[in-house]
Amino acid sequence: MDIQTLTTDVVVVGGGGAACRAAIEVAERGMSCIMVDKGRPGRSGATPCALWSIQAPFGPRGRDERDSPDKFFEDMVRAGRFIGDQNIAEIVANTACDRILDMERYGVRFKKYDDGRFYQTPMPGQTYPRSCFMFENGQHMSTILAKEVSRHDSIKVYKDFFAFHLLKKEARVAGILGMDMLGGDLVAINARSTILATGGYTSLWGFSDNPPTLTGDGVGMAYRAGAELVDLEFNQYYGTDVIWPPSVRGTVVLYELMIQEFADGEITDRDGNPIIDKPLPIRDEAIKIIFNVIREGRGTEHGGVLFDTTKSPKGEQAVRDVFNTMTPKHYHFLIDAAGIDLAKVPLEVAPASHYQCGGVYINERGESSVRGLYACGEVEGNFQGANRLAGSALCDTQTMGAQVGGCAADDAKRGDLVPFDKKDLHGTVDLVKGFMEKKKSGLRPVFLKEEILRTMDQYVAPFRDAGGLEKGLATIRGIREEIGKISVPDVGRYNLELREAIETVLAVDAAETTIGSALFRTESRGHHNRTDFPEIDNKKWRCHSIVANKGGNPSYSKRDVIYTRLRPDDE
Amino acid sequence: MIKAKIYRFDPDRDKKPFYKEYEIPVERRVTVHELLNIIHRDYDGSLAFRTFKCYKGMCTTCILKVNGKTVKSCAHPLDMDAEITIEPVENGTVVRDLVVDFKTM
Repeated sequence: MDIQTLTTDVVVVGGGGAACRAAIEVAERGMSCIMVDKGRPGRSGATPCALWSIQAPFGPRGRDERDSPDKFFEDMVRAGRFIGDQNIAEIVANTACDRILDMERYGVRFKKYDDGRFYQTPMPGQTYPRSCFMFENGQHMSTILAKEVSRHDSIKVYKDFFAFHLLKKEARVAGILGMDMLGGDLVAINARSTILATGGYTSLWGFSDNPPTLTGDGVGMAYRAGAELVDLEFNQYYGTDVIWPPSVRGTVVLYELMIQEFADGEITDRDGNPIIDKPLPIRDEAIKIIFNVIREGRGTEHGGVLFDTTKSPKGEQAVRDVFNTMTPKHYHFLIDAAGIDLAKVPLEVAPASHYQCGGVYINERGESSVRGLYACGEVEGNFQGANRLAGSALCDTQTMGAQVGGCAADDAKRGDLVPFDKKDLHGTVDLVKGFMEKKKSGLRPVFLKEEILRTMDQYVAPFRDAGGLEKGLATIRGIREEIGKISVPDVGRYNLELREAIETVLAVDAAETTIGSALFRTESRGHHNRTDFPEIDNKKWRCHSIVANKGGNPSYSKRDVIYTRLRPDDE
Repeated sequence: MIKAKIYRFDPDRDKKPFYKEYEIPVERRVTVHELLNIIHRDYDGSLAFRTFKCYKGMCTTCILKVNGKTVKSCAHPLDMDAEITIEPVENGTVVRDLVVDFKTM
């Protein structure tokens, strides 16, 4: 196993919307950049899974002239239940329109009115319709952004590159260590600034609507490097993901399409009684309604509710036209993979793991608590708060991607290239080599990962209590003890099992800190519902939860939320 | 029972590609992508394929050739008694088994 060392001004870890936008900004500020993508460029991370919706308050240039950045800001802050940092929310709200115009310049196609204004769809929680409409959805956005990255000579993209460790020099981060999956070599990248844009860790849960590769690499690496993590207990579920049949389990079908403007259908219980009133509630409220119907025993055979457009007053063809226009690819995917025509039959759906509101604690420049380390996109932690609106995730990738890319580049301009500590490098390399040693009772990582996912499904669903969380924590700590027994084939090229082994190490950290954060917050708010503490507790808990690695163990604390403009109504 | 003949090749170790046959009992219809996950988990951990999927048939990362025809493996259901040959696509060089270093974005 050879180790190659590369140097650059800024290394960006990730391949989705935030990573691409950060890399572009670094290049535009004249600095060199290496972007490492765990998969196939333009088809990696969670961005390809996204739908049409990206929020921007275009006002007179969009659908409703009354909309403004201030309204966008206020909607976000309220949806986040006053747990989101407003210095970051301001950047997102104030720069969203400009970043969407950037995307348009790169080649992303948006639906427009005849007079050139942006067409925008109404989504729950938006005071005015604010979601711009991307044709061909998130996959289109991913491909166009990756193409824009490839136009910059100063950005070098390493594809199929699995980054798994932040290299340090004393108290600062000095780059990354990863594996070139194509050849199997380890590669150390020494950088002035390191940006994590690895996305969330939605697939640390078994029932997820995100790619299976997202199991906590980013927060795991950050935690191990000593960076503070924030609000991990707010893992957002999405209300209506397919639960049956298994071949299409996890595919999102949008409850937002049930409004009169679109399919005009209903989410119902087993017997066809509508359960979600209109106007539609925002996501944390929607999942609570659905979970409660299932818990009351009014769910379907496979533990879901029904997504039903068959009784729409608009008629089957009009409903089909809506799916074909709004979400064409996945409408046809359900037909191809499972023979299900959404316009014809009700579908069994249930809440599934969808997005991490929490993540790496950053300031408004994207700096983490460890010098040299930055974060943007879903892996960043402290602006969505306890819940997020539809269209905020993609908007965040572009606004904070550009903001953090720019700040990391500016700091790289002023900063030195600090060589990383060789001992840190060799220790990690030894861990990796250890997995490839033959062992008597060799464990396969796939089974450990499955157990982590099962544990999260069982104990860290949006409804949780201390008893379940403690059991989950004990299971995860048990899995940590098993890591040393992992044994994988000594193969160079595309060693899937070696990747799974290393992912397990990081996933265990992500799982332990998430469960610990959920135990720490003894109230219910947003996507965190403690059945043993069912009320919101603004006096004690209108604050962030912070977790950091102190001598190998997680240590939990509270931190004030940053309010710049909008105080809670009761203050 | 699904009978699958799968293309195997590690250019570091094998002189030339070969096909390995698997007989996989299934209780329902599965997609090709599900079948590969079952094989990797329960029958042969050494099989290399791209596990990534977008759940919407959009990303095409999982494309493969099934009986000579290029398909999205996540959106291609199999009969419970299917007999199939699975091979990598030709849009790039084979890294190992079914994993291709794609030529195009």
